[in-house]
Order: sequence, then structure tokens, then C-alpha cells
Amino acid sequence: MSDSRLALPLMDSIQRWQGIDAPNAAARHGMKDFEGLIAALEKLRGELVFEDEPSSFEAALTACKEREA
Amino acid sequence: MSSDTLAALSMTEAADAFARGEVTAAALLEATLDRLDRHGAKVNAVVRLDRDEARQAAVGLDQARKAGATLGRLAGVPMMHKDMYYRAGKVTTCGSKIRRDFVPGVTATVLQRLDAAGAVDAGTLNMAEFAQNATGHNAHFGDAMNPWDAAYCTGGSSSGSGAAVAGRIVTAALGSDTGGSIRLPAAMCGVTGLKPTQTRVPRTGVMPLSFSADNVGPLGRTARDAARFLGVVAGACAGDPTSSREPVPDYEAGLDGDIRGLRVAVCEPWFFDDIDASVLRGFEAAMAGLKDLGATVETVRPESLVAVNTYISIVSRVEGATIHQQWMRECPADYAIHLSARLYGGNAIPATAYLEALSRRGPLLRRFCDEALGRFDVVATPPLRVRVPTRAETDVDADPANWDRLMDLSRNTRPFNYLGLPTISIPVGFDDRGLPIGLQLAARPFAEARVLKVADAYQRATDWHGRAPF
Repeated sequence: MSDSRLALPLMDSIQRWQGIDAPNAAARHGMKDFEGLIAALEKLRGELVFEDEPSSFEAALTACKEREA
Repeated sequence: MSSDTLAALSMTEAADAFARGEVTAAALLEATLDRLDRHGAKVNAVVRLDRDEARQAAVGLDQARKAGATLGRLAGVPMMHKDMYYRAGKVTTCGSKIRRDFVPGVTATVLQRLDAAGAVDAGTLNMAEFAQNATGHNAHFGDAMNPWDAAYCTGGSSSGSGAAVAGRIVTAALGSDTGGSIRLPAAMCGVTGLKPTQTRVPRTGVMPLSFSADNVGPLGRTARDAARFLGVVAGACAGDPTSSREPVPDYEAGLDGDIRGLRVAVCEPWFFDDIDASVLRGFEAAMAGLKDLGATVETVRPESLVAVNTYISIVSRVEGATIHQQWMRECPADYAIHLSARLYGGNAIPATAYLEALSRRGPLLRRFCDEALGRFDVVATPPLRVRVPTRAETDVDADPANWDRLMDLSRNTRPFNYLGLPTISIPVGFDDRGLPIGLQLAARPFAEARVLKVADAYQRATDWHGRAPF
């Protein structure tokens, strides 16, 4: 099982920022997920707008209710 | 009545029989204990049994009823719950080695509400470690096993809840759902599981996993069970400032079996990519069943789901990694391999990506509602695109190559956690290996009554929910 090209830089980053080492081979293996995740995020670039913020979710829950509910 | 006869009752049937004086709480509890003694080893669903305390509680309820006391809507019904709901003074393991001896000082709001409704708490149920896998594997307490075939997954993370309800040990149980952890065991074990709207049920005294996406909800035999259970546990709580002040309706009141004119949206292609043929046949048969009941079924193609799936995987991983950071530094070997591996990766996601995911949540909820629920009352999807997998083929601890299969299991359930929508899974058949097939139904925020009404109508016309593995 070969490492993703992202594995070593991400593992280094985690060690520096959080002081956590890869606990096992499965953790290294799981690093390959990030290739796809970064590619997926790349496709979403430009959709976040200046005014977006996390609290919009609670407002949307209320706004999207059934009218008769 | 024999223990098997009593165990065949649904939660609401048992509660109503107790209320009418047709059965005692003691008899209901003894049926649960007898079933557990005879069948418990087949499913490994129970972590802690409080036999004596439950018997005392049952006797107390029988005496209170004889004395003419007004009792709650769940009076006399024995239950056990996923071992992550805190009860002051009782060990709550969270399915982990790390919290094997953890004794909380508070009792979860939902347990307090179930106590007040007269439910008899008989113990705690197995679960995925820290509620973090979709299969039910547990390296510390042993895997819960599917009552239909022990070689197969129960689904997770509420594995014991699914197995105990399907195995007729309890009639209902609390699960929790951050990416599908109620609906997946419901689907894989052949029971009914409801993930309520985000914020609908307070989380005070509940083990956290991902605070943006965690939900508390029931697994039971029927939609009516879920309706009554939700009516007991839902509603604002001062201890959880995120809990909604939205009024709690009488969820049972709308269960009239009439879904004529109901508009069902089938979301393609996301939920059907590479779907197993027998799972698809089960889904299509369920759609035909809804049409027979007077519903219309059409296809929609919401484009928002790709973004939804990307963002929920970021939110749940980052939040899970954050709250586990200290233990990951101090005692990483105390986690199962698959869990420490998953938690580890969450640390690699930048804060800007996490905040983008949270910031897009409101706009994407509005967009999904426009795309999929604008002209429709409910969305219908399979909760799983694959047949129930075996425990061996999803065991990452034994072989990291099983990682993709494990992570893919929640693909059809996790979008609804990001969207915060009420979503139910009900049994609609069996696959070609004899394992259950589920149907997932979602509706607009706080429209739990809508999905319960559809599920109840379907269950009035079918008997999949009434079948028992032993």
C-alpha cells in the first residue's frame, strides 16, 4: 500500500499544529481521502460569498419549514 | 401471555396495554429479561443490564397504576439505550476503552423525559466506539451482531439499539445520528429509525461527536413508536441553548394512513450510483407501494448534493478530531485502529475549509429545499446503495484496504445531517441474501409529522416491520 503524495506533508502539518502522530497504517492509508476532498472543494470555489456565515443555517431551518407546519 | 407474545408488541402497543390494565410493567420487563437471557448472546447488544433496579421501577409503576395515579405515555415499557446517554452515578462507556469507567454527574435531558413518561430503563446498549463507525464494529465490547445473520453488520453507530429492537429484546431505544447512525442500523436490522430535525431534540448530557450534526432520536418497530417516542423527548431545554423552541406537535395525531395526493421526489443520481440490484428492486417496490396508496412519485436531480456531501465530510471530521485531540496525544492506542485513523485525518483540514462548510450550510439547505422539496412533500431514497455488508468485509482494523467500503456506507444518509432535515428509515423488504432493505424518507425542517405519516401509511399496508429474526 503506497502513500498518497499528500500523506507526508499532511502528517507533518498535523504534528506541528496539534502534536499528534499518525497512530497506525490505517491513518496513513486514510490520508489518500484528501486527494478527492481537495478536488471536490476546488470545484466549489467561488460559491462562498462575502456575507455567508454559519448562523445562516438556523435561519434557513426556520425559513424552509412547511408553511402549514 | 408468554414472553415471546409480549415481546412481539410494539412500544406503543405495550404502553397502551399497560395503560388499559391488560399487562403489568413487571410482566413486560420479565419478557425483556427472558428474551435477553435466551437470545442476547446472538446479538451482543447489551453493555450493562440493571436487572434489579428495573424490577423495582416496574413494581413501582404497577403499584402506582393500581392506586389510580396518572402515568406517562410510555409507562411500563422497558427500554435500554445506546451507552452514550449520561445517567448521574452510572458508568457511561461511550463504547470505548477510554471511558470504560466514566461516571457522569448529570443525567441526559432525554433520559429525564423518558423517566418522567414512565419508561423503565433496564440498562445500556452496545455502540460503535464514540459513535464513530457505520458498521457497528467495536474492538472493546465486541461487535453487535445482526439478528438476521450474525456474520453481517448491524449498522452503526447505534448498533446495539438496532440489534436489540430487531431481536425483540426491547421495543424501542435511543440512538444518535451524526451521519446515519440511527438510520443505518434501522435499515440493516429491519426496524424503524428516526433522525429528527437538527435542534429538535436537546443534547444535554449526551456524548458529543460532531456538535453541528449530532442528533438524538429513537429506533423502534413502527412509525407510531417513533412518533410517540419523539413526542416525549423533543422540545427546548435550557441546558442546550441550541435546542429549538419550535412547538412540539402531537406526532401521533396525524397518523391516519391517508397519503392520497402525497408528492414523492426520488433524488437521482446521487443516491443510486452503483446501487445493488436487489436493493434497487426493494426501493422500486416501495415506490410502487406508495403509489398504490395514492401518492405520486417523480424524479428530481438536485445539483446541491455534491457540495452537501463534500461539506458534511469536512464538518464531522474536523469537529470529531477537535474534541478527541487530547486523547489522541495521550493514549492513541486506546482507540480502535479504524477510529484513531479517522480522527487523525480530521486534523489535516484547514480552518478555512471548515468555516466554508459551515457558512454554506444555510444557503445549501435553501437550495436543496427548492430543488427537491419545492413541488414535493417528501424525498425518497435508499439509505444504503449496497446490500448489508459482512462484518469481515468492512473490518478496517483487520485490513486497512477495507477503508473505502467502510466510509462509503454513510453516503446516502450523511447529506441529511448537513441539511438538518428530519429523515426516517423503515424496512421495505429483504435482499437476495435475506438481509433487510430500508427506505429513507426526508421532509422539510420540523416536518417530522410528514415522514412519520408516510412511514405509518406504508406500514399499515405491509408487514415488513412485523417480521422477527427469532
